[in-house]
Amino acid sequence: MQPPARPPLRGGRPRALAAAAALVALTPISACAVANSDDTGTTGGGEGTLRIVLAQEPPTLDPCDASLTATGAVVRSNISEPLIERDPTSGELEPLLATEWHRTDPTTWRLDLRSGVTFHDGQPFTAEDAAFSIDRAVHSDVACNVDGYVFGGTELDVQTDGAAALTVTTAEPDPVLPLRLSFIEVVPRTTSTDAKVRTPVGTGPYAIDKWETGVSIALRRNDSYWGDAPAYPRARYVWRSEPSVRAAMIDNGEAELSAALNPEDATEDNSVAYPNNETTALRLDGTQPPLDDIRVRKAIGMVIDQGAIADVLFAGLADPAAQLVPDGVVGHNADLRAAPPDFTAARALVADAADDGVPTGKRISLIARNGQFPRVSETAEALQYQMARLGLNVRIQMTDSAAHLEYQLRPFPKGAGPVALLIMHGNQTGDGAFTTSQYLLSDGPQSTFGTAALDERIAAAGALSGDRRQDAFAAVFAAQNDDVAQYVHLAHMRGLLGRSADVRYEPNSATGDELRLADVRPAHRKGS
Amino acid sequence: MTATPQDPGPTAQDPGPAPQDPGPAPQDPAAAPRPAPRPARWWTLLGGDRFAAAAAVVLGLVLTAALLGPVLLGDAAERQDLRASLRPPSLDHGVLGLLGTDVLGRSMLARLIDAAGTTLSVALPAVVCSLVIGSAIGMWAGYHGGLRESAAMRVADVILSFPSLLLAVVALYVFTPSVANLVLILAITRIPVYLRTARAEAAELRSRLFVDAARTFGAGSGATIYRHILPITLPTLLTVATVDFSFVMLTESSLSFLGIGIQPPDVSWGLMVAQGRQYLQTAWWIAVLPGVAIVITTVSATIIAAWARLATDPAQRWRLTAPRARRARANRGETPS
Amino acid sequence: MVTFLRKRVVSSAIPLLFVVFGVFCLARLTGDPVNLYLPLSATPEQRAEFAAANGLDQPVLVQLWDYLGQIARLDFGESLRTGQSAAEMVFAAFPATLQLAAVTMLIAVAGAVLIGCAAAYRPNSPADRVCSFLSMTAASIPDFWFAIMGVLVFGVTLGWLPTSGVTGGAEVWVLPIATLLIRPFGVLVQVVRGAMVAALTAPYTRVARSKGASEKRVVFGHALRNAAMPALTVAGDLAIGLVNGAVVVETIFGWPGIGKLMIDSVLQRDFAVLQAAVLLTAVTIFTLNILIDACYALLDARVRQAAPA
Repeated sequence: MQPPARPPLRGGRPRALAAAAALVALTPISACAVANSDDTGTTGGGEGTLRIVLAQEPPTLDPCDASLTATGAVVRSNISEPLIERDPTSGELEPLLATEWHRTDPTTWRLDLRSGVTFHDGQPFTAEDAAFSIDRAVHSDVACNVDGYVFGGTELDVQTDGAAALTVTTAEPDPVLPLRLSFIEVVPRTTSTDAKVRTPVGTGPYAIDKWETGVSIALRRNDSYWGDAPAYPRARYVWRSEPSVRAAMIDNGEAELSAALNPEDATEDNSVAYPNNETTALRLDGTQPPLDDIRVRKAIGMVIDQGAIADVLFAGLADPAAQLVPDGVVGHNADLRAAPPDFTAARALVADAADDGVPTGKRISLIARNGQFPRVSETAEALQYQMARLGLNVRIQMTDSAAHLEYQLRPFPKGAGPVALLIMHGNQTGDGAFTTSQYLLSDGPQSTFGTAALDERIAAAGALSGDRRQDAFAAVFAAQNDDVAQYVHLAHMRGLLGRSADVRYEPNSATGDELRLADVRPAHRKGS
Repeated sequence: MTATPQDPGPTAQDPGPAPQDPGPAPQDPAAAPRPAPRPARWWTLLGGDRFAAAAAVVLGLVLTAALLGPVLLGDAAERQDLRASLRPPSLDHGVLGLLGTDVLGRSMLARLIDAAGTTLSVALPAVVCSLVIGSAIGMWAGYHGGLRESAAMRVADVILSFPSLLLAVVALYVFTPSVANLVLILAITRIPVYLRTARAEAAELRSRLFVDAARTFGAGSGATIYRHILPITLPTLLTVATVDFSFVMLTESSLSFLGIGIQPPDVSWGLMVAQGRQYLQTAWWIAVLPGVAIVITTVSATIIAAWARLATDPAQRWRLTAPRARRARANRGETPS
Repeated sequence: MVTFLRKRVVSSAIPLLFVVFGVFCLARLTGDPVNLYLPLSATPEQRAEFAAANGLDQPVLVQLWDYLGQIARLDFGESLRTGQSAAEMVFAAFPATLQLAAVTMLIAVAGAVLIGCAAAYRPNSPADRVCSFLSMTAASIPDFWFAIMGVLVFGVTLGWLPTSGVTGGAEVWVLPIATLLIRPFGVLVQVVRGAMVAALTAPYTRVARSKGASEKRVVFGHALRNAAMPALTVAGDLAIGLVNGAVVVETIFGWPGIGKLMIDSVLQRDFAVLQAAVLLTAVTIFTLNILIDACYALLDARVRQAAPA
């Protein structure tokens, strides 16, 4: 057969081809508008641009949403800054836009502010801006994420004291108020209080240059920054939800830094592991049989092989856990360690419970969220298999975030039966109070049950400070394991940050929530 | 799909192409000069086509695995051993280790066999349901025309423009996730394809002489559709169904990729590919083997469908029965005989 | 023809309403967005306030009525997630998907016609067998698998192409288009081949040959014209599939299209954006269908006479 070089010339209207062409023409071929929308080219800005690939596009860049991972990674300490920051390694509070703070009476804190700081738009930073930022986050109609996250109903009264000082009064004594304030990013007083702003103004080392929706966010260096100038004049964020594509971008030299990689794609050249403060655990609903029997809950804790899960499923990027908070958080109990699995003892406990009439054959839903952490569905399958060996009837249910939240938060869905929920808890604040009030109080928003004794301990611990606070919370975590056993802890996780050999950057436990571009330096490969 | 509704070929004038009827069709170039002495049995035809024979064997194996697998394997597909995680295919670990293990240390061979059952129990019912419902409505609409036809076509438009993702999410998180729900969604989303194809063919046939004749003689619309329109439309619909078979498997796989498909611990080939994609660089067998299973199953189904179409079409059957030399000559475009 | 088009446009209005209605109700079945948008520790009062502010505390029918009123004023609401106008987000994302779909279909149709005709010219010849086998295989490869392999092989190992993204020249199109192409291409090759086999053995082809028409004219003039109809049907279905969801490709390659927007708004319970996106794709699909029917009518006058009112 001759290859068809062209349609027939003579007669026989080439209708088939016309139809095909018509079909194609249905969709407007409006040149390559999308693909060429950015003139900076594939590398996204060439020399001097730091390129970061995130897992998802931030929904907003409003600093008051900075406690959302996707937003915080771009905004925090890059575009806007808080008054006080917490050093993620030492846990100490460090001055930032506030230079000093102290308690003037049990309910009042006074903060002295840094002078000579200007916002990206040239306005000077004053106490009025600081007060406005706190008010906006806590009291306005913007529905700030950070409000509920760290303040949760706390009443605050903020007053300026001249241009460079601020007093904050709380209704109840609050020993960790400066820590709470470290979550509030400062914005100028001209920022909208009715709606979230899409491209915020801040005092940070970088300012937003351009946000091309769906494609990229470009930042440029703030040349009037009050601190040390960052190394890169420009930065550019893109996002890919597939971890192997993010790894490929580092390998291919298309990005210098990347959010969470999967262990399978990680090599020494493209990534670095860091403790990300997250702890995985199985929350057992103690209000529903058979999980309302502590023997069954403890048996589950005994049969789960945390060591094998951490080594194999988490590829060694995790340590078996015995409590909800990792080392470094106030209240971490160094004496609690994950015990090796003891199948015989666990089996005996369940048999005991069954003899006492506990319906151990009742179906338990093991609920986990897609994308919760790498290999989450395999982890769920491993847990299900190990629990089934005890004779428990476990069924896996993988959900999306919205459905998972229904189970995670009070009020819990009715008629769901006994639920074992796979949770991942990250205590960003470094203080055990945030964990215990959420997960361990009888009526905690993420707790299915508790005991009056534990509630009292938690309340008492919250009023203490210093070493006594540490010891009291450590005792709370020990008591949960001995007397309550609502949680079967799996592992303290480590994250993988994609990092090319072209940059120097050491991730820390806060890297997942705030990626400080100012800390990133080019690597001097010529051995300087 | 390969039928040409406006093709005034021999089948169109022949209301019922009887599969076993070797009688010389008027235009049949091969059968005309030398009528076959007796009907060629289907296995003879199949044996004459090596590709079709191989495809039939593959499909037979898949079906056997799906039916007998659970009985033969016991719990081999679920048995985990974290110390045996990600073993490559080898001969060192018995039959179950032949194709390696997944990250939980489960035998890939056992899981592939186990998944065959789930995969088929999603794909087959989904294809059959959409085929039956879609074709019935389509032929009815095409035969009657007018308002009924318009209504049916607009319903098809509504379904087509509805995001199947939303349906999948609703079925998963609102109702209990189950194979049945997945079948339902896949079936609903594929109905328009059959509906449109059947409607087009029926609309074209309703003005034909033999349909007119049936109508004049007082045959009911149901009977006319069943006796005169269905037999002619069926080969096309079946071809569409074979192509759809692979489509349904792939859609199920894509849903798994997005986290809204088959839910573990159930396992299908599509889910295995989706879960295995992260190991493409380190443990190729996890994603590649189930992918290969999907490909060879659908390719075999397509080959068999193409063969069945030839075998049941009197105008084309000579391609299967004619001696090789003559076929080759025919293939060069020379008219045989 | 004009009457036909006008009737079709008018008769599409009611089904479109059904689509709006269906998406609205189904979306609300998937659950409450409040928890997703408020921090885990938000108080019940804060939750109630958020629900009231976004009209989520009303009965679904009331919400639907309000929504229909909004649509009538061409107001499609605001995204819960970004605070942007839903219409703006959807219109920003749609061209990216349309361009992908258009280029893919153009290549698929052109390629399938050439290869399908070549294969059908000598049915069951080795070339035909190879071509059929390859097209069947192409049609049954999982697209995300193909995409990731493409990224690993051409992006990382060979370094010929960028792994993903939309910034750059023609090279960024290669992998997304190739991934989208495999299935429509495989299916269309088979369809064109099948239809051409039938058409080339049909009597009119033999008549044309006996009259001494050139082979080129027989194949592309007579046979292909008759084979175009089934190819058109299938190509139309495939095109609709592309408009409605290149989700996988858009997700993997970070292509800012409507499929990704849709799945994100489903998972994030961002109802306004989901509804706007479905409405826009539905209008496109209805338009596409009308145009396909118009093509039928052009192809065959008989269909025009019998065309549904």
